[in-house]
Amino acid sequence: MNFEVEYTPEQEAFRKEVQSFLKVNVPAGLVTTAAVEAITHEQYLMQRELGRKLGGKGWLFPTYPKEYGGGGLNLDQTIILEEEMDQYGLSLPPYYNSGGNLGAPSILVWGTDGQKRQFLPPIFKGEVRVWQLLTEPGAGSDLASVKTTALRDGDDYVLSGQKIFVGSNHEVDWLWTLAVTDPNAPRHENLSWFMLDASLPGITIQPLDLLTAGGEGGAGSGVKNSVFFDDVRAPASALVGGENNGWKVATTHLELEHGGGGHIGRNRLWERLLHYCMTHELDGRPMTKDQDIRDLLMDIYIDIEIGRLFGVRNYFLTHAKKARSYEGPQSSMWRKSGNLRIAGFIQKILGYLALTTDPAHVVEEGHIELHQRSAIVGLHPGGTVEVQKLIMARRIGIGRTVREEAGRLA
Amino acid sequence: MDLSLNEQQELLKRTVADFMVHECPKTVLLELDRHETGAPPELWNRIAALGWVGMLIPQQYGGGGNSLTDTAVVYEELGKGPLPGPYFSSGVLGALTVLEAGSEEQKRQILPNVARGSQILSVAAQEPARKWGPGMVQLTATPQNGTLTLNGTKLFIHDAVAATHLVVAVRTQASQNPAQGISLVVVDKSLPGVSARTLPGFLGWVCEVKFENVRVPASAVLGQAGNGWPAFARAMEKAIPILCSYQVGGCEAVFDMSVEYSRTRIQFAQPIGRFQRVQDHIIHLTNHMDAARWTTYEALWKLDSDRPAASSVHLAKAVSSEGYYQACNYAHEVHAGIGISREYGLTLHTKMSRTLYQCLGDPLYHKRRMADALDL
Repeated sequence: MNFEVEYTPEQEAFRKEVQSFLKVNVPAGLVTTAAVEAITHEQYLMQRELGRKLGGKGWLFPTYPKEYGGGGLNLDQTIILEEEMDQYGLSLPPYYNSGGNLGAPSILVWGTDGQKRQFLPPIFKGEVRVWQLLTEPGAGSDLASVKTTALRDGDDYVLSGQKIFVGSNHEVDWLWTLAVTDPNAPRHENLSWFMLDASLPGITIQPLDLLTAGGEGGAGSGVKNSVFFDDVRAPASALVGGENNGWKVATTHLELEHGGGGHIGRNRLWERLLHYCMTHELDGRPMTKDQDIRDLLMDIYIDIEIGRLFGVRNYFLTHAKKARSYEGPQSSMWRKSGNLRIAGFIQKILGYLALTTDPAHVVEEGHIELHQRSAIVGLHPGGTVEVQKLIMARRIGIGRTVREEAGRLA
Repeated sequence: MDLSLNEQQELLKRTVADFMVHECPKTVLLELDRHETGAPPELWNRIAALGWVGMLIPQQYGGGGNSLTDTAVVYEELGKGPLPGPYFSSGVLGALTVLEAGSEEQKRQILPNVARGSQILSVAAQEPARKWGPGMVQLTATPQNGTLTLNGTKLFIHDAVAATHLVVAVRTQASQNPAQGISLVVVDKSLPGVSARTLPGFLGWVCEVKFENVRVPASAVLGQAGNGWPAFARAMEKAIPILCSYQVGGCEAVFDMSVEYSRTRIQFAQPIGRFQRVQDHIIHLTNHMDAARWTTYEALWKLDSDRPAASSVHLAKAVSSEGYYQACNYAHEVHAGIGISREYGLTLHTKMSRTLYQCLGDPLYHKRRMADALDL
């Protein structure tokens, strides 16, 4: 077994190349702030500009096929890219792009050749930013009960309905949307996916007032929106994966959204909390020398370490193309319920200080207070903890002899 | 990055799994549960002859010279039984302690016999009314004319009744630092004055050992007198992840039992696994199992590749001990009445999970040492 990526001289050379590229191309004003909703439009444009530059080199979606604008790179090179981006507090892509991250792999599995050529290169090259639209006011955990319709009319589909908890702040180019294409068909046989131009007439995007921004994995997703479709006319070519085949298509991206893709990287929350506790005193000695605080810090550390190892395992399973079962939803469940547990431990350590954003008393530039809120907000995106448990149970085969299979990834 | 077992390890895993299925089915395990040492000589000798006791002992001392990960593959399968007996006490903790502390001559004298199974070691460190850690070692060994005389009691010593030789931690010098001044003395258990008995109750093969005027030659001290604890600590760092892998195997066994029972037990006209309350128990069990597994594998990898491993070893022990304990609790929630029937086999694990929870330090001890190792 080897938990570490070992680099050949060629890979070390690749790291140098990435480092010099980022040194030149990551602008100074591109900072990670606790208040993601406060990212200015100017900063957003910097993120997009960096995305296009990375995309030009195939580094935005490094493991995807070159023929569609991906990097065609292997696992180790991808890890190098992610590690180097992480040095700047950035991930790949350096902006919220749920519809690209989750729609692109679905298109790669389910799209026609023409659709792959049409949709994938702009995503992989960073020319478009895409949001994913799943949830509706009446369809959350029961995703298959969405009501937004896309009815065939000549060469077009006409969309009507409302999506909620969508996207981020600033503008978006495409929308990756699930809708009902046959209102009379049985459940799971009535849905289709669409890749829509966000500028089509009849689309209205309206921000929501939420406890905080939040996304699966806390990917700095900014504010969330409602999206309204009022008789939006889209070309038939926007339908991906076959009419009324949308539930099958969904298994691919839901697998990724449920944590199946895995994750590697350091934990900034832990670094920040530890930094604070080591540099501040309680009753005349460093907080880390207090036995109660040490015990609580170890409770947090254990929770984080287990989550990290689940992420590393899933990352390996995905990129080494090994068989997967319940590991994706397990990782998602652990991260979600773990963040809430950790928020509790942190309040036990810091008390009121965990809760205030007052400039005179704020801890670690507000990141700790933000975590208290985002741990709650982060419980639902990509499926609630209860939904993750349901999926785990089916894949483990609890109470059933046929185990449900994990979603297909390309 | 490669988180899979290599080909030899996969083969080894299948070999041990086959052995367990054919040689140690549940009927045998239930008999072993009532056996004084958990390891009747014929079974012990067969397993020693297969080379599984001496895996960690270097080839020049008659062992297999295997890596910790290779060895963990075997112990994970043994843990699925769980197969009792002094395999870990002698072949892992005992052998590693002699390797870390002993002189070249002592290693040559002792280790080939341990690998062969003709000598069985048990390390006796803990004492009554003492918390785990070097401070617990208070038993005295009085030097006189080239001999040491041991008097006192060691408590909660694993497999001391099965052992032929005890490696006894004794205090030979007083010191401000409790980790200093401890010596490790090899005591032939057949010497006059040594008595060991197994403690009864909800624990397995844990013993009390008494020493009454037990005289051993000074040459029985492993290596240098007074330097025993640091050597024992090095041995424990390597031994603990093997113990963890045994706990991981135990988690896997109770997981398999619980999933199977969820499919076959019918109540309210359906398999009980259709009830989400039952599913929840198995999901929590799964998380404990995988947390134990991956913290253990990472610690093994760090040790085998000579990386600093202290905090990972403490993490693995804290998580695996808690994990096996909780996994058994959840399995009992799933099984209800049938789970407490001794012949069903679940309670073999439950008892083992309680016993190993304490072995070489409980989770709280390891959490606190982990904080130290992380320089908090």
